[in-house]
Amino acid sequence: MESFFVRYRNLLVLLAILLAQIIGLAMQVRRTDSGRNSLDPQDAPGVRLLRLWADTVVTPPEKAFHASRLGTVSLWQNYIDLRHIREQNQDLQRTIDRLRLEQASLLEDAKQGERLQALMDFQQKYIYKTQAAQAIGTSGSDSSRVFYIDKGADNKLERDMAVITPDGIVGKVREVFPHSAQVLAINDQTSGAGVILETTRIRGILRGNAAGRPQIVDILKDDRIQPGEKVLTAGGDLIFPRGLPVGVVEKVVPDPDRDSFIDVIVKPAAHLERLDEVLVITSTEPRFPAEEQQDMATSEMLKGAQAAAIAEANKEQKKASEVMAERLPGLTDPNAPVQPPAANPAAGTAPGKAQPGQSATPVTAAPPPVPKLLHPQHPDRFTVGTGSPQSGETSAPAGQEKKPAPKSGLKPESKPESKSGQKANPPPAHAGGKTRP
Amino acid sequence: MSLLGADYRRDMGVHSYPFLVYGLTPLAALVLQAWLPRLVRGFTWFDLPLVVTVYFALARRNPIQGTLMGAGMGLFEDALTGHAIGVNGIAKTVAGFLAGSVGVRIDVENHTFRMMVTFVLSLLSSVIYFSIYRILLGLNLEWSWLAELVKAVANSLIAMVLFPLLDRTRVRD
Repeated sequence: MESFFVRYRNLLVLLAILLAQIIGLAMQVRRTDSGRNSLDPQDAPGVRLLRLWADTVVTPPEKAFHASRLGTVSLWQNYIDLRHIREQNQDLQRTIDRLRLEQASLLEDAKQGERLQALMDFQQKYIYKTQAAQAIGTSGSDSSRVFYIDKGADNKLERDMAVITPDGIVGKVREVFPHSAQVLAINDQTSGAGVILETTRIRGILRGNAAGRPQIVDILKDDRIQPGEKVLTAGGDLIFPRGLPVGVVEKVVPDPDRDSFIDVIVKPAAHLERLDEVLVITSTEPRFPAEEQQDMATSEMLKGAQAAAIAEANKEQKKASEVMAERLPGLTDPNAPVQPPAANPAAGTAPGKAQPGQSATPVTAAPPPVPKLLHPQHPDRFTVGTGSPQSGETSAPAGQEKKPAPKSGLKPESKPESKSGQKANPPPAHAGGKTRP
Repeated sequence: MSLLGADYRRDMGVHSYPFLVYGLTPLAALVLQAWLPRLVRGFTWFDLPLVVTVYFALARRNPIQGTLMGAGMGLFEDALTGHAIGVNGIAKTVAGFLAGSVGVRIDVENHTFRMMVTFVLSLLSSVIYFSIYRILLGLNLEWSWLAELVKAVANSLIAMVLFPLLDRTRVRD
């Protein structure tokens, strides 16, 4: 017996070590409800201890390397490479001025959005507090896209906090150690972030592929998805706040496993391969942070009047363009169906019914079209033949929304406009039909 | 190490190394493997811990030492990733064992032969990693065999540079 162990000592040691590791692996995997295996999202204490040991060994030298590298770089940047700094400063000041203008002009929209969200009982979460951190190390493997940052539990970091850069999202905190944290990047195969395509509003899950490129999976074939479309966070994963930039669609490839599905390869907005400084979102609140509110107040005070003047000028210019478009002959096709204005809720109640060639079956019991009731779509004081505002529309000045029609749709003024336009194509009163030679 | 007499080691060509080299080289390999990809973008093509494991397993000509070093290095690498702990561990355990077993039977002073061993064990390590992930654990992991082939070549190249350097640190009897 003794000779057996001596003779096969090497093999027995190998088998013992392999068996121990296989048992350890089996304890980390569990079967989900769908019948597929998955790794435990929360590491067991033993596994976490191993990760902690590895981190304790690797992080100090990594921090030392990183600090020495940063020291060299900052020495160069702060003392030697200071040429053109004045020009850069002026450029930045101009950028700040421009952004203040933009912020002031967008402020009213943001406030209105907040009010509407409050009405709809929906609370948008704003990034309230962030913690800056330096990326100091990686996993060292291209099959695992994780990296380490130099902030940890000491800086109140927690699992599942979002990690971003000013360019876009980067990943989420996967594991927190006392002085460092492990971040799972969005291009890892085990990651997952809820995203939405900006234009087509198609939602999906973003995760990495074997080549380390983020891709949106589980999407049905859709020809509307084109390269260049922006991808934003959807906000449904409770990790990333809604509306953060993710990247742009690079290409669409068929799903190799399922025929009717596609994978949307995304070019990430953040430079995932060259990360130095990242921001960890440590707190989100349903209100603007104090600094942002102060910035907005400053913008309003300093540039609000200027922004308002520009906005007013833009509005006037737009209005004049519309008037010109209405008056100029030949710019509008008299045979074209009348398009209901998007901002008019009354006309927008039946957008699909205004398509020519479609069945004209009325949905509601509207009276037959009466051409004489046709009015210009945007009656204002410049409209030919309307010296005074129409009755019933006095409260809606030019360029503003009219009051919505009653839901019954029985008002002859609202319905016949589109219906007459699609059935008989009479020359619209406001278009070239009146002035066309 | 101490079980082998000087004559036996000389006959077998078993090499000894200063404790610092034997202890710090694997550690340095692990730290550099984690840190260098931040500076050198394509450094993940290399697998320094595997190369160091193969080197010491071949030089020590001891399958148990190769097994233990491979297991330690692999588990450490796993701990740094977000994946299950043990996948790399098993792959490198087998690689270390085979390198030690090969070292017992074949002359390992030849640089070309050591490069070939590194190439083959790198590929084998990738196969084991993939098999454990897909078959044993039943997890979904996309894979590119071309990438693994390139990795094996890269590891052979780095072995060509690293092995002669480490040979210089041997203890002469």
